[in-house]
Amino acid sequence: MIRVIIQRDLTLAFRSGGTWLYGLFFFAVFIALSAIALGGALNVMRPFAPALIWLAIIFSAMLSFPAIFQDDFKDGNLAQLKISGVSLINLCIAKAISFALLSIMPLLTALPFAALVFDMPSQIIMATLLSIILAAPALTIYGVLSSAILAGRGGGGFLIVLITTPFLIPLLIFGLEAIEGYATSGLGAIEFRVLIGLSLIAVAVGIPAAAAALNANLE
Amino acid sequence: MINYLANPIRFLKFSKVATPIFGTLALITMIWGLYLALIKSPPAIEHGQSVRMMYTHVPAAWCAMMAYTALAIASLVSFIWRHPLADSAAKSFAVPGAAFTFLALITGSLWGKPAWGTWWQWDGRMTSVLILFFIYIGYLALWNIIPERKRAARLASILAMVGFINIPIIKFSVDWWNTLHQPASISTPGAPGMPAEILWPLMMMVAAYSFLFGWLALRGIEADILKSRKIRSSDKPAAKAIIETL
Repeated sequence: MIRVIIQRDLTLAFRSGGTWLYGLFFFAVFIALSAIALGGALNVMRPFAPALIWLAIIFSAMLSFPAIFQDDFKDGNLAQLKISGVSLINLCIAKAISFALLSIMPLLTALPFAALVFDMPSQIIMATLLSIILAAPALTIYGVLSSAILAGRGGGGFLIVLITTPFLIPLLIFGLEAIEGYATSGLGAIEFRVLIGLSLIAVAVGIPAAAAALNANLE
Repeated sequence: MINYLANPIRFLKFSKVATPIFGTLALITMIWGLYLALIKSPPAIEHGQSVRMMYTHVPAAWCAMMAYTALAIASLVSFIWRHPLADSAAKSFAVPGAAFTFLALITGSLWGKPAWGTWWQWDGRMTSVLILFFIYIGYLALWNIIPERKRAARLASILAMVGFINIPIIKFSVDWWNTLHQPASISTPGAPGMPAEILWPLMMMVAAYSFLFGWLALRGIEADILKSRKIRSSDKPAAKAIIETL
């Protein structure tokens, strides 16, 4: 069932005329605006580059969160899925995977290009990429959770940011610390393990909570 | 006790007695505590008169945390037993909780100016209280945006519980971040060597804030029960059409 839902989401996204790529464009716009705001001198921007990339990814993801459940809720697909006996936990897992594929993956592929425009050293690019990959499950799942809570409520753009921010703060902190830790102790840095831990907690807490929220919205 | 009070009518009977008691106790302890704090207690050696800020700041921060704990417990009860009174309680804890958090931030900032020389420090405690404030605002906003009461209660309780699990994680990560980037610059007010003439007014103010919180929460629950009763008794249309503009 999970596979079917993911396939459906991917098919719908590819037929949508590229709306799933808007997050990527937002990412590019954010990076460009940051460079303009910081004055464009590479040696000034280089120390901030990992933080800017992290912020660009978090904001881009947060703006994509409402879309996870909104359309399916409005056109009644979610209600149909619930009636047909699909476990909501499975549904949330499937939605998380398709969100990771459709919204996080493009950002990860764009990351090296963002790193190029900031002229980051290759070691830091590697560390940034790793820290984001390890934090991606938590990022995705808190997105699924807040989207499930706000399913079917349009204009929730600001609210979804407000609701998700507290959950994403530990990710941001440890994601950036991990990049610093990578320089000294490589993959063995404690912060990478903390990121994995945060992602596991998110899986354990976020998926059942998202399923419960979805259930409340479909009652 | 909780089972007994779970009935709204019995709760209203109880709160009719309890609310004035909490209110009077809050007033008495507040006046006494302020007298002790502002007039009787000596100025601190290294902080001078500005230490009196502590008597309004520390209880606010404690009550902010206490209110969120109470909110999370009420949310758990509401989520498991779907009890409307627990919803009212959770909602009524959130408003004073957010107010106390805001008060803690403002007084902390005002105290920070004379004590550290800046209005704001990105230190572990202030940052985590600020994040707690965001959590409260998100919670209250969720109540506001969802018109159906039962659904709002259920979703808000989920958010509150996930938030509660995350609070220690946030605290831990902010402390980690802070120790790497900021020198430790805090004097701990709860240090063991605190003399009695400072401890007493502080405890009195903590009692005053707690009673005030209790009074506000009880008033909130009462108002909420009366409001939902009024909605129920008012004439409802047989069917409601929702027209969405696309």
